[in-house]
Amino acid sequence: MEDVIICRCEGVRYSEILASILEGASAVPGVKKRNRAGMGYCQGRVCQRVINELIERETGQPAPLQRAQAPVRPVLLGDM
Amino acid sequence: MAANFRLPVAESSEKREQIAFTFNGQQVMGYEGEPIAVALWACGIKTIRSCGATAQPRGVYCGIGHCYECRAQVDGVANVRTCMTPLSRGTSVSSSSDWHIEGA
Ligand code: FES
Repeated sequence: MEDVIICRCEGVRYSEILASILEGASAVPGVKKRNRAGMGYCQGRVCQRVINELIERETGQPAPLQRAQAPVRPVLLGDM
Repeated sequence: MAANFRLPVAESSEKREQIAFTFNGQQVMGYEGEPIAVALWACGIKTIRSCGATAQPRGVYCGIGHCYECRAQVDGVANVRTCMTPLSRGTSVSSSSDWHIEGA
């Protein structure tokens, strides 16, 4: 299979997500800290569920979705 | 940039006049109030920017303001979602990713 991009904002590919899970990431924050998946402009809105499913598939353990944190919608720093 | 992907039907029922705006300094035409990304697409421009990580072309992906793939600099404001932002006359759209924070 072609190495698809899972996190489009940070350009993180399927193989990199898998590598981070093999390295021990058991939840989304662990993946984020290894390869920045989910830390781009959309803040994981596109890739988080895919990463969750990959973690669950690879580890056999449920991986809880991250809690939404304020500001829930992206805002300009200048507006804060 | 002569491409025109508008449906002929829409074109003929559409009595509104087209307005000019710019994309990376080049003049293009669209309808006032339609999403900037749609106006660009109708002109054949699907690549709105390129990916900072992979250098691949990027444009509309979700089309509903969810993914930020269509972001561009619009009238000097960085990272505007062009699929969510209505077009107005003379709007300046640029792929450039150099950005500044207002007032910083
Ligand atoms: S295409 Fe996804 S935010 Fe515009």
